[in-house]
Amino acid sequence: MLSERDIIAKIQHLTVTRLRVWVQQGWIRPVAKAEEAFTEADMARAALIRDLEDKLGFDEEQVPVLLSLIDQIHGLRVELKTILEVLDDLPEDVHAMVKLRIEESKRAR
Amino acid sequence: MADDLYSVLGVARNVSAGDIAKAYRKLAKKLHPDLNPGDKAAEAKFKQITAAYDILGDAEKRRRYDLGEIDGSGQERPQQRYYREYAGGEDAARYRSTAGYEDLGSFSDLFGDLFGKEAGTAGGGRRFSMRGSDAQYRLQIDFLEAVNGAKKRITLPDGGTLDVTIPAGVAEGQVMRLKGKGMPGRGEGGPGDALVEILVSPHPVFAREGDDIVVEVPITFDEAVLGGKIEVPTIGGRVFATVPPGSSTGKTLRLKGRGIKGKGGKQGDQLVKLTVVLPERIDEDLKKLAEEWRDKHGYDPRRKLREQA
Repeated sequence: MLSERDIIAKIQHLTVTRLRVWVQQGWIRPVAKAEEAFTEADMARAALIRDLEDKLGFDEEQVPVLLSLIDQIHGLRVELKTILEVLDDLPEDVHAMVKLRIEESKRAR
Repeated sequence: MADDLYSVLGVARNVSAGDIAKAYRKLAKKLHPDLNPGDKAAEAKFKQITAAYDILGDAEKRRRYDLGEIDGSGQERPQQRYYREYAGGEDAARYRSTAGYEDLGSFSDLFGDLFGKEAGTAGGGRRFSMRGSDAQYRLQIDFLEAVNGAKKRITLPDGGTLDVTIPAGVAEGQVMRLKGKGMPGRGEGGPGDALVEILVSPHPVFAREGDDIVVEVPITFDEAVLGGKIEVPTIGGRVFATVPPGSSTGKTLRLKGRGIKGKGGKQGDQLVKLTVVLPERIDEDLKKLAEEWRDKHGYDPRRKLREQA
């Protein structure tokens, strides 16, 4: 687990105040209320928010919209991955049938 | 993680290169292993300040360290890890949003149940139980509290408190597990544990080596030559110790059983390291004494040194 200080030390231009605001806004959600409650994913997310604000110039009204979209995309990606993994385990003839139906469906659109 | 190199040398970030060299030399004089034979703590500290000086004493490395390009051990800092590398993993599951699939689910009762719902969340899915996670805390205590044991109270970020009973003889870095004092569980799962890491503040006089207490005690020139009884602080109060005649700097006296009560009831000792200190002003008497003595009884304490190096 990582502490606030670990995160600030590793991400440039990040201050305690900024990190705490992000946590307060719910943009970063530490797993516990302990002093060392952050994970590697939280750290990468903090770096992402820092990039959105500092490098890409989004403001604090826009950042939560972006985060919400990003979170939805990753939610979809994981569910898509689940479907593909399940399909992958099914027999060959099922693969062929699914492929065929997908192609038909795309053509029909 | 490496400590801040400036604080290792005890200087501010903005001092000149000359001040850094000066700070290093001052510490090195005190801590050099050859000036502290047998003192492992001094050796470790010496390595630490030397490693810090290797970077801060070099203008180019110092510049890169200040910019965060290299860390305290001179390693290149890793490139930024992007969020997408974590976003699909278990660690980021709490961020992923799977709301708003009702329109897709309506296709089929079978598949509609499968997606858009996370196990255990409100609104569907099976209830599941999970033990709460462990909460980690750090507790800073005084040297003597670590030696004698103490009761401490930690104030938690949410305003709650946690009472911790510190056993006598607890060591720096020791982690105490308080059953059931961690985060609440889910469903039938019980709460996690609180893990409290103990940090011990150094004492100006006492140092610890295992279960032994080490104290440096200055003695006078005459005590060194003639021996005598001197008063020595211990963790249990002052006691008298006997300095044998002819005690040089570095001689160590062992006071049996004056150390820390270790695990399994074993009692540590106190080690008294003697340092001979000359009077601040060398008067005529002492000078004459030394001159006369030298003329009649010269001796060579550095013979071994020459033979070996």
